[in-house]
Amino acid sequence: MLEVRNLVKQYGDITAVNDVSFAAAKGSVFGLLGPNGAGKSTTINCISGLLSPTSGHVTVAGADIVKEGKEAKRSLGVVPQELALYEDLPAIENLRYWGKAYGLGGAALDARLAEVLEHIGLADRARDLPKTFSGGMKRRLNFGCGIVHKPEVLLLDEPSVGVDPQSRQRLFDMVEAERDAGACVLYTTHYMEEAERLCDSLAIIDGGELIAEGTVDELKSQLGARDILQLNGEFPVDSVKAMVDALRDRGLQDFELLAEETGSVTLTLSSASQHLPAIFEMLAAKGGVVAETSLRSPNLETLFLLLTGKELRE
Amino acid sequence: MTFVVASFRKDLSRWWQDRMAFVIWLSIPFLIGGLITSMVDGGDGAMPTGVLLIHDQDESLLSGLVAGAYSQGNLGELISVEQVSLEEGSERIENGDASGFLVIPEGFMAAFLDEEPVALTLKTNPAQTILPGIIEDMTEILLDLGFYAQALFGPEIQTIMDGSSEGMPDDVFAAEMAVQIQGKVDALEPLVFPPALDLEIVEPPPAEPQPDIALLFLPGIVLMALLFAAQGMSADYWKERETGTLRRLVSTPGLLSRFVVGKAMAAGVIIVVLGGITLGAGFLYHGVSWSKFVPAMAWITLSGIGLFAWFSALQMLFPNQKAANLLTTILLFPLLMMGGSFFPLDVLPDWIAAIGRLSPNGFVVDRLTTELTSGSDWTFEKESWAVVLLMTVIGLAICTWRLQTGFARR
Repeated sequence: MLEVRNLVKQYGDITAVNDVSFAAAKGSVFGLLGPNGAGKSTTINCISGLLSPTSGHVTVAGADIVKEGKEAKRSLGVVPQELALYEDLPAIENLRYWGKAYGLGGAALDARLAEVLEHIGLADRARDLPKTFSGGMKRRLNFGCGIVHKPEVLLLDEPSVGVDPQSRQRLFDMVEAERDAGACVLYTTHYMEEAERLCDSLAIIDGGELIAEGTVDELKSQLGARDILQLNGEFPVDSVKAMVDALRDRGLQDFELLAEETGSVTLTLSSASQHLPAIFEMLAAKGGVVAETSLRSPNLETLFLLLTGKELRE
Repeated sequence: MTFVVASFRKDLSRWWQDRMAFVIWLSIPFLIGGLITSMVDGGDGAMPTGVLLIHDQDESLLSGLVAGAYSQGNLGELISVEQVSLEEGSERIENGDASGFLVIPEGFMAAFLDEEPVALTLKTNPAQTILPGIIEDMTEILLDLGFYAQALFGPEIQTIMDGSSEGMPDDVFAAEMAVQIQGKVDALEPLVFPPALDLEIVEPPPAEPQPDIALLFLPGIVLMALLFAAQGMSADYWKERETGTLRRLVSTPGLLSRFVVGKAMAAGVIIVVLGGITLGAGFLYHGVSWSKFVPAMAWITLSGIGLFAWFSALQMLFPNQKAANLLTTILLFPLLMMGGSFFPLDVLPDWIAAIGRLSPNGFVVDRLTTELTSGSDWTFEKESWAVVLLMTVIGLAICTWRLQTGFARR
């Protein structure tokens, strides 16, 4: 339903998106994960026709977004990260306007407006101006404007940013409803828990490049059963190296040092809690002092850390 | 076409809610136009009037004639005469409550008849300039008139005065006096008639009917309202960009050209309302033939949409909203000055008027002025309409081009 092939977007010498390829199927939610500045929004903008790709292809419901822009856009719904509403136009007129922008009209549009208003929970506020709405209500209307024409492919660019927990839950319900109705949803976020909750498959992007792709389970399996252990404190030169050597001497096979920075060490290993006393002992023997310990079980966030050596929300 | 209508309805609905902007666009031209018109028309035409206080101590026939002379003819429309006591007159002239205070002394008529010196006292109000001067001049004329009358008809006047003191003169007495006066007039006739100069009165050719000066301001005032509105509404492109609706629009199959046309149509409706009110008020006030109203409305509506298109195009050429608003606002004033909104093009120096007529609003004002002030029906000058239509289309095309080339995508 949505296919991105070898997508490249350059701004002068800067490559914002580099050879990104993925495909998303009908009736599924495809997550595009990555930290801020990873290239998610640039990818979305290329898919929605806001930006022209430097090279590569994007097809939406079989239509090329560059060569058959009008046809492709007819199948595309976009819910931008920032609100894109007419605050001085009643909610129903906002929906009507965007419906007409997609070529809808007449009784079909009227029926669809009633349906969407019900779906986003604004049926009783249809004639009110969005400027009188709460933030959550505006978010829902913003979502409604993107689905008024029943798009086959729905792009959601970080839709949960700045949304309160209650509205976020409602948003998830609406996304799932679109998927269940047969839409292909592309969902970008830097919240891994959202991706785990919503996405059937996903791709992780960093520095403009796709670094992993698969279902949530497939990606988690890359981690195995390893935990992520992060230690903060004071670690004299060679104390960390001595600890690593000692752990290897103990015969730990799935052990890996992910990152070492001043005052911080991150490593991955199985059953990390069982090895904690020994690790502390080894560091202390070389003059190291552990001030804080963080132990995380495998998830997408730890996978990102494993793949890039940095936190997702840095 | 559906999207053009949707875009039109959307913007019209939004702009219509902004009543304050509408009131401002309308009130500024009305305020300036009202001030200019009242200055040019000279208000309601009421003439200033003064009060001459007279204290007549002589109470004679002659002093009565002098007092009455100030109320005669046109002078009577300017000056109202009040008889007062010496105290009241002195007090009121000191308080500035009158233009002049004339005291006619006792024995005035007797002295006049005896050709003896006599002094009339005239105090004028220094706070006033024109009316006291008129009273002073009039008093001097009366004195000169008295001198010549005394020189020519002194005995007859004396006889009449003597007779009048003995009751109503009989017919014989009146006839005698008439004969004596006629005799003197006959004696003077060879000296006075025929006149030494022949006076030939040449009637000037009938002048071209001059247009109402205040009417010359009307087109400029109407265009002022349209310029304010066009500039104000053009900022909406930036507003749409800031709210993200333009970006969203680019991701839809809705054509940007239709969006631009819809917005221009909504601007056209606002312009029709503004233009209708200002032009209608002007037609009513100046009594312009209503047969010109519809073509005048069509002319200013098309022109107003053109101005909106060009202001919009300019807005989108600037790098940020602040610069766009600032510079288009600054641009307004030279356009208003040179385009005939503050001063009619006909009264501007030739070289400024020539530039003004080439400015977008000046071109429209010039054509509108010509049509409104002519005595004939509206002349549909095809070239003028074609120029405005072409400029409007070009302006809209630039708007579409700017939206397509990045303005909407940021």
